[in-house]
Amino acid sequence: MSSETSSTLPSSTSRLQRHADWAVYAVFIVMVLGAPLVIDDVFWLNRIAKYLVFGMLGIAIALSWGYAGILNLGQGLFFGLGAYMTAMSLKLMSATSLQQGSDKPVPDFMLWNAEPGAVTDLCCINKGSFLWIPFQSQWFGMAMSIVIPLIVAFVLSSSIFRLRVSGVYVAIITLALVLLVRLLLIDAQPITNGFNGLTDLGWLTIGGFEFDPYMVETYYVVAVSLTVVLLLGRWLVSTRAGLILQSTRDDPTRARYLGYDVAAYQIFFFTISAGIAGFAGLLYVVAAEFASPSFMDIGFSISMVVWAAVGGRNSLLGACIGAILINTVEATVSETEIFKEAWKLIIGGIFVLVVLYLPNGLAGIARDLLGRFERRRKGTPAETAPKAAE
Amino acid sequence: MNEALTIDGLTVDFGGFKAVDGFTTVVQKGELRVILGPNGAGKTTLMDLVSGKTASTQGSVHLFGENITNRPEHIIARHGIGRKFQIPSVFRDLTVRQNLEVAASGEPGVFRNLRLHMVAEDRARVEDVIAMTRLEPVLDTVAGELSHGQMQWLELGMLITQQAKVILLDEPTAGMTHAETFRTAEIINEMKGSHTILVVEHDMAFVRKIAERITVMHMGKLLAEGPMEKIETDPKVREAYLGSGGIH
Repeated sequence: MSSETSSTLPSSTSRLQRHADWAVYAVFIVMVLGAPLVIDDVFWLNRIAKYLVFGMLGIAIALSWGYAGILNLGQGLFFGLGAYMTAMSLKLMSATSLQQGSDKPVPDFMLWNAEPGAVTDLCCINKGSFLWIPFQSQWFGMAMSIVIPLIVAFVLSSSIFRLRVSGVYVAIITLALVLLVRLLLIDAQPITNGFNGLTDLGWLTIGGFEFDPYMVETYYVVAVSLTVVLLLGRWLVSTRAGLILQSTRDDPTRARYLGYDVAAYQIFFFTISAGIAGFAGLLYVVAAEFASPSFMDIGFSISMVVWAAVGGRNSLLGACIGAILINTVEATVSETEIFKEAWKLIIGGIFVLVVLYLPNGLAGIARDLLGRFERRRKGTPAETAPKAAE
Repeated sequence: MNEALTIDGLTVDFGGFKAVDGFTTVVQKGELRVILGPNGAGKTTLMDLVSGKTASTQGSVHLFGENITNRPEHIIARHGIGRKFQIPSVFRDLTVRQNLEVAASGEPGVFRNLRLHMVAEDRARVEDVIAMTRLEPVLDTVAGELSHGQMQWLELGMLITQQAKVILLDEPTAGMTHAETFRTAEIINEMKGSHTILVVEHDMAFVRKIAERITVMHMGKLLAEGPMEKIETDPKVREAYLGSGGIH
């Protein structure tokens, strides 16, 4: 092998690199948790909260794409499912659902479309409305935001990976699936409000405290969640299982011959990644106060992949920062009308450049710079791998 | 129990073509067996059948008395078969040490591996293998950057770390320089006795260096079996090899 390929990956993880890694994590977490001290505009805080949610999606993508080598082009499916589950609960808590002439909450859109004379109760206002009954508990809806994506991902990945489907076929299957579910969601108008999605939601309420999306407390719900997910994810990829997962990405056949059930590892991490996306969906609804079929648009799922690629798909934090950065820049730039359209072009261009020249994204640049600094400090020239004794 | 690997009447039928046809042999514990044969004799297919890559249509494979015929690869591996491929197969994006650490895990399950550190026993085994394969200078190098020879030794090292009871080596010296071939023979001779090894090899100079017993395959069948001297003078073997220029 020529040593030219060494630029694509760090050739070693030295102590300095590990320390630098933790330092970057620490700085990031301090910045995320400390943002409200610097930013006192609640509208911006709310915006940033949404971008932190996208950062969580970046982590989910990095976990499956970077660490497991599974390109999921339908991550929006799990995000969307997570969002709808919580949105259903918050919809029932909304004032409009409680003011429909019934002592039990009924979503306004169900009433608008109800057959004349239908009973205004979730049990039977239309054929599917009974599905909403358990969502009267906010905790049920929030639990389902994670449980449903986990179940769907487990069933899906079990069939895909047991059959040893890999590479681009996984991308095609996930892409087709998110489109399919999006269609079903829109088609099930009586219970999902179809194309319009679920709007006019109530606020997340914990112990009597209402989390108004434009409050610092709500920002903290998102920021702390992101921190926890980031650290848990980091722990997960640092475990033995995380290492074995990476080995299955590099060479599944070799991993099998070492005795590992490759599919089991792929299923486990794919499912965890879906659970994170579902949790992100939950948080997004809390911060943005709506759920819409647009969460399952192809474009959105592909955007997630772009964020992760730009930030560095082999790094959980890199992908997370990539998502936050791109969205923040996009929001700033989109204020100007001319840039609004051009932005898509710019981000497309950046994506192409990253794929061609920076396969490890921003995180890769950081690692390369650190490696260069380290070699200079040691006084050794850029080393090539010592060759076999000849 | 001295029979390590028992192959009995093993056959695979690829739609009428029998790449391996009623092959039978017994490899004793601690033995180093070389499988010779002209191109297309079915040597690599035999390894595929034993290691579970290809399903056999008839016959059986037993490992220390346990039936492992047509089980999935990872189950066969957990029973104690380790395999080295003709083209070196290592985890190219992981460092040499990480490669060995993956091989060292005594636990195959996902949940059992949700911990940060290896058990001491596994760690000790990794250190032993590092010393044996002389890979210390490149421990933190990504495996994809190793020289061809180092990559082969790393793969061998992984099989030892894996604690395979029976090791299948498919042309371990293919593409190696003389010096690398020599070093490989050294490693294999060090493994002799403590491991049971089945080697497919063409390079006769190398075979002479390591071989004890030789099995000759031809057209998917066993042609001859015995010590080196006997095989070299066997008229049947000479005849089978005539088409491909004899044993060289």
